[in-house]
Amino acid sequence: MAQEPTQSSLVQGTLDMIILRTLALEPMHGYGIGVRIEQISTGVFQVNAGSLFPALRRLERDGLIKGEWAATENNRRAKYYSLTAPGRARLKQGTRDWEVQSAAIARILQASMGEP
Amino acid sequence: MIALLRRTAGRLRGLFHRKHEERALDDELREYVEASVAQHMARGLSREEAVRAARVALGSLDAVKEAVRDVGWETLADAACQDVRHAVRRLRSRPLTSLAAIGMLGLGIGITTAMFAIVDALLLRPVPFRDADRLAQVVMHDEHGGGGDVARPVLRAWKETPVFEAVEGHHSTTSLIESGDRLVERPTAVVTRGLFDMLGVHPIRGRGFEEGEGRAGTSDRVVISEDLWRSAFGADPAVVGSHITVNREPLTVVGILPADFRFPTAKTELWRPIDYEAPPPDAMARPTALVRIAAGIPEADVLRVAANVAHAADPSTNRLQAFTRPLAGAYRDTYLTGAVPLLTGGVLLVFLVLCANVSSLLLERFTSRRREFAMCSALGASRGRLFRQALVESAMFGTLGAATGLAIAWGLVGVTRGFLPESFLLQTLNPLNVDYRAIGAASLSGFLATAAAGVLPAWVGTRMNAANSLRVVERGGTETRAARSVTRALLVGEIALACALLVGATLLVRSFVNLAQVDRGLNSRGVVTAWITFSKSLDDSAARTATAAVLEDGVRHLPGVTKVALSWGLPPGGGGISFGDWRPDTAGAAPVSLVVDRYWVGADFFDLYGIPLLAGRTFRPEDTSGQVIVGQRLAAALWPGTSAVGRRFTFLTQHFEVVGVAKEINHPSIDVRQDHPEFYEPFTAGGTRVMISIRCGSACPDAPLIRRRLTELSPDVRVIDVRPLDSVYFKQLATPRAAAAMGFAFAAVAIVAAASGLFTVLSYGVSRRRREFGIRTALGSSPAQIRGLVLRDGLTVALAGVTIGSVAAWWLARGLASLEYGVTPADPITWSIVFGVIGVTTMAACWRPARQATHLDPVMLLREE
Repeated sequence: MAQEPTQSSLVQGTLDMIILRTLALEPMHGYGIGVRIEQISTGVFQVNAGSLFPALRRLERDGLIKGEWAATENNRRAKYYSLTAPGRARLKQGTRDWEVQSAAIARILQASMGEP
Repeated sequence: MIALLRRTAGRLRGLFHRKHEERALDDELREYVEASVAQHMARGLSREEAVRAARVALGSLDAVKEAVRDVGWETLADAACQDVRHAVRRLRSRPLTSLAAIGMLGLGIGITTAMFAIVDALLLRPVPFRDADRLAQVVMHDEHGGGGDVARPVLRAWKETPVFEAVEGHHSTTSLIESGDRLVERPTAVVTRGLFDMLGVHPIRGRGFEEGEGRAGTSDRVVISEDLWRSAFGADPAVVGSHITVNREPLTVVGILPADFRFPTAKTELWRPIDYEAPPPDAMARPTALVRIAAGIPEADVLRVAANVAHAADPSTNRLQAFTRPLAGAYRDTYLTGAVPLLTGGVLLVFLVLCANVSSLLLERFTSRRREFAMCSALGASRGRLFRQALVESAMFGTLGAATGLAIAWGLVGVTRGFLPESFLLQTLNPLNVDYRAIGAASLSGFLATAAAGVLPAWVGTRMNAANSLRVVERGGTETRAARSVTRALLVGEIALACALLVGATLLVRSFVNLAQVDRGLNSRGVVTAWITFSKSLDDSAARTATAAVLEDGVRHLPGVTKVALSWGLPPGGGGISFGDWRPDTAGAAPVSLVVDRYWVGADFFDLYGIPLLAGRTFRPEDTSGQVIVGQRLAAALWPGTSAVGRRFTFLTQHFEVVGVAKEINHPSIDVRQDHPEFYEPFTAGGTRVMISIRCGSACPDAPLIRRRLTELSPDVRVIDVRPLDSVYFKQLATPRAAAAMGFAFAAVAIVAAASGLFTVLSYGVSRRRREFGIRTALGSSPAQIRGLVLRDGLTVALAGVTIGSVAAWWLARGLASLEYGVTPADPITWSIVFGVIGVTTMAACWRPARQATHLDPVMLLREE
């Protein structure tokens, strides 16, 4: 973990996409989302509450996710977020854009590294 | 679309349920911490350690909440509310400077708005009717000009042309209206039925004209103006449907038009119907055509079609072309084209001065609050947030200033309507109100004032780095450099503008004084003039002249009257104007082309007015109409260097013989071409009007007595107007007086504003530099030296301002050249007045701050630390 991405390098759009991706599988509460992102990225992305909650609020405002209060596994109440139809559409669109961009970036990086 | 709605709804909910949302956020974060704790405990940490770890991972709970709140604009609105509340508190914490700032902004916005209303009425929108750009008068001219009217068949033919959406006709006349025992004369228009609809005016009472009205037998209807209704008929609602006597003829009032409606002239107060298809026998033959051009047709096509149609309908127009003329604003005099734009410039200058002043006032406010800003900044407020807060405070001043300004504008426009010279008001059909356009102008100038006066202080005032500014505040040393240079630059600008305005105003005032002091060549003091009109029964000149003689004799016996003279007018009113070639009887002399005023005067005229005869004699009863008395200028033009008495001259087919030469009469006008040479013919009552001049000894009989006496003397006489001659002359100078008064008012406002700006800035400077002055005093500076420091500061600013201002003033003075009378831009008196006034004002503004600086006790100051 020599080159850990810093918070600021995690651009806003990326975090939004990661959250949407995480919620695509199942509804989750805030802490769960943070943990899941860390797990999936094998510890590369660590999302703290100061970034996570504003992002959740933003996505909720824009109607991409919706929050509902529900009981947790240890019988407490937490706000569970799930994807809405527009959120699903945005995720699909975003994933496609991301793939195109990252493939292009990867090609550029590989090409320049291949030069003597 | 739906998403957008949902989002907006969510945001609104967010705004209204803030408390609820806050609670939900709290719950959610608590849950987050709990989950985190549980996780840590699952890894084997004790509860306490787990809570600690979770807290560390979370960081500041408040920071998270703040970050969440910052999402979306509802927080922006929230912050704005906060800013406004803060600004209101700030406003009230220093009421005096707040009031001063709002007052100055209000004054600036007020005069700007009022000036806009005037410019709008006079120049921008002189025709305030629906789709005014498609309304026009159509005339048939050739290259030498032509009449403004057309033959009836042409009007009829134009009505059938598709290029015109509507065609109406009208002509103007005047009417004598009887109201009680008084007779008032009012401009009158005879109009076709559809004209009111075409202009989009609706009667406030009664109705307009109907189909079939304006023919023989139905032309005895009349619509009157609201003004006439109020002034002559006491606003009696029963007037509608009743009879009034106009030109000795009973007419039925069918409606009353609103006071704001002005057509075809600004003063028209009576409208009578006419149907040009079947007009009453005594109707005017040729109407003036007023058209609404169909939308979307190029003007060239319209005019071509109109000309062709007119040629077919009236063969006498075959060689003429069609032209359009605006309904108003086509003819503009020197003052309108010269003075109004200059006054507008003056107003903008005053506006700028006031904005600059408010700007320095706000700068002083903001810089004196550096400690507060520094504190906020140290507590984590961003520069943007502080700037926004300061800007909201400025905008508050702008808004309150605009509201004050609107009230001031409303008052000013009311005053202006009464005070603006008639010659201005006659050039527009716009009633000159604070209408929605003026309100728009007020809002815009409020916005501009905020931008001009608020942004700079907010920027400079909130610029700091926390460490530095905290230190500066603690030491309370000298003025901050940025604030200092900005305020000084603003002051230099203010004084420069005030200087330019002062020069302009002084020139205008001096021009007015010169105009008022012009030797008219006659003595008007103690003279009352009465205009009378003869009834139609006296239809011959000899009968009228005989009746006039009876009147002259009758008035002579009124108490206090010493002299009476008959005339048809007196410069510059009445009389006739003849222009063309005047041929003297000198052998071989070329004709002289001149514009000459002609007056018909009785034998006592010269004596009554104290006009000396330089040669020859005055009129005798046996003089015939060819025998004349010429003025000096005409005599000199026709017979240069020789005596004119006994000589003859010819104008067109008329022959004249000179029996005397009178001293020239001047009438003051900035346009010297208006002052024509004149000559006099023996009095005959050629027209239906006569002026009776009455000179009195100690006191004149009052107007009603003269009026009554005249009507008693002859049943065929109506009195139009009785008034002192000086009041007529006073009115004549209304335009230059208005220009001088306005210029003076603007300059006064500007100079007072600049002085108070200088005072504020210097006082503030002294209060900032108390410590410095204290140390200087402690080190042995004398009070005179300290005072010198402050005075030098003020005088440097003033000197720079005057230097720049003089250059600007020179330009302004040259721009004013067309309005100057008897002064030049280089007038030494004007410039000494200006420099004197600015010097004295500067000294007055510097004096108190300078004294304050010397009255500081160094021991007290050092103890303040």
